Amino acid sequence: MKLSRPKLGYTAAGLTVFAAALVPFVLYGALTKGFSHLGLHVDEMYSGGPTVRAIQATGYTIDVHRQVAPHMWQHEKPFVQLDWRPVGALPSHVSESVDVDGDGKPDLRVNFDVPKNPKARLHVNVEALNPRYEPMHNVTKEKFSALIVRVDDAILVRVPVKE
Amino acid sequence: MATKAEFLSRREPRSVGWSLFLTLPIALWSFLMFAASLRQPNRSLQVAAIVTSVFMIVLFFMMMRTKSTYRWRRWFFVALGLLFPVGFIHNVIAMRGTMGIPIEEMIAGRTPFCFIPIPLLILPAALYKTVVFPGSILPHGGMSGGGMAAMVGIWLAVTIVVGKGWCSYACFFGGIEEGMAAVPAKAKVRKIDPRWRYGPWAVLLAMVLLSLALFEPAYCMWLCPFKAVSEYVAARNTVGMVQNGIFIVLFATLVIALPLLTKKRTQCSFFCPFGAFQSLFNKTSVFDVKIDKTRCTPCVLCQKSCPTMSLSDESIAKGETLMSCMKCGACVDVCPKDAAVWHIRGTEVAVKPERARLMFLYAAWAMAIMFGGSIIADGLATMLHVFV
Repeated sequence: MKLSRPKLGYTAAGLTVFAAALVPFVLYGALTKGFSHLGLHVDEMYSGGPTVRAIQATGYTIDVHRQVAPHMWQHEKPFVQLDWRPVGALPSHVSESVDVDGDGKPDLRVNFDVPKNPKARLHVNVEALNPRYEPMHNVTKEKFSALIVRVDDAILVRVPVKE
Repeated sequence: MATKAEFLSRREPRSVGWSLFLTLPIALWSFLMFAASLRQPNRSLQVAAIVTSVFMIVLFFMMMRTKSTYRWRRWFFVALGLLFPVGFIHNVIAMRGTMGIPIEEMIAGRTPFCFIPIPLLILPAALYKTVVFPGSILPHGGMSGGGMAAMVGIWLAVTIVVGKGWCSYACFFGGIEEGMAAVPAKAKVRKIDPRWRYGPWAVLLAMVLLSLALFEPAYCMWLCPFKAVSEYVAARNTVGMVQNGIFIVLFATLVIALPLLTKKRTQCSFFCPFGAFQSLFNKTSVFDVKIDKTRCTPCVLCQKSCPTMSLSDESIAKGETLMSCMKCGACVDVCPKDAAVWHIRGTEVAVKPERARLMFLYAAWAMAIMFGGSIIADGLATMLHVFV
């Protein structure tokens, strides 16, 4: 059957109105689900990258993340992220040697206070026992690649890696 | 030459009964959309839902009765633009205590995601499968359950239905400048170089490339005027202070001062990269606005009334609007010869234009109620909660 152009136009317009009626019930959900199944991930400069190892300490865990490398002109250094969790199980002062690469030798010595107030500003000192890592002195949260912050029930420390 | 007011008063109104009949589907849709809010125990939410629902129905009724679109749509759009910051700022302050986005919230993926960075994220997503935005991808993630998937889902759905009409029926920022443009009776600046129309494309191109190179949502970090009334980068250092300064200057210039001087939506017309990107969907939309060349004199009233400079002498001669047309209806309402008409692709120009207008408005107003209406209700509920 040959449809004329006006008929096709009105059919398309009718279908559009019908699609509008379907948006809150079908279309919105389907499109949302479709997008979340695209396999995209948030840039690791923000997320810190996936956890590769967990170091068990007395009462708490240190999650070691995969090293994050900046893209193209991203104005940050490569870094590794270490998460101390849960915050409630941490002593008032953490002074810990951490084996980041899992070779059995400590790579970093990390020192920070754990204030009771969750909104208090944190400061960290990192001594580099392995020359791959950069030391940090009294660092707070100026850069994504060198910081200490509290996020929910964890204290995150990002240590820059030499390029 | 007939003025806009003279022409509107000449237009024959539709009967009350017939207008009510045409409004009935929208009234049912509105009650359906706000039914969930009415079941909430929160009194402010209930009142806000009822007021918004009635507001949207009355506006649609007036569109049917007067057969004009722009001035009634503008009430909705300005309300959306003014009430979005109210609800949004209240939410961010209640949840994190500040309008500034702290680095902790970015790392936690709780930065609220609006639609403007969507075109900037496409290349990094396509090339690296990476979203260069510190938010959550999941539909129920993010700060208050509105992750990127939710925003992308609603944008895609509305775009399928109304195309570039997003900028007139869904954008929760454009209403501020449209409100500002409505304040003066006459424009103080009338001569605008038409080359400014390329501004949004230039910003879009620059921001897409910068976002790919810097791996960050460059527009959000450096140029978004609406950061001034939503949330801004917490000023951790001098760079942050410069960024916030740029946001405030751009907002004061493009969203407040220039619309007051030109009576145009200057941010949308000269700057918004999302608007330029959304123009591409004018090619996929079944609804558009045409100029009937057999009736056009041309008096260029349509050109003067267009808030986004989407009509030029050449486009009028061709009987078309430019691809930046956002289907607000200003040109159709103002045309004294009924030469500017709503149109469905494939059909003849000016044959049953009111049918085309009705079909477009049913689709567009349904989206306006579903998305914009919920934002208006949220802003109203916040005001009731805070002040009453």
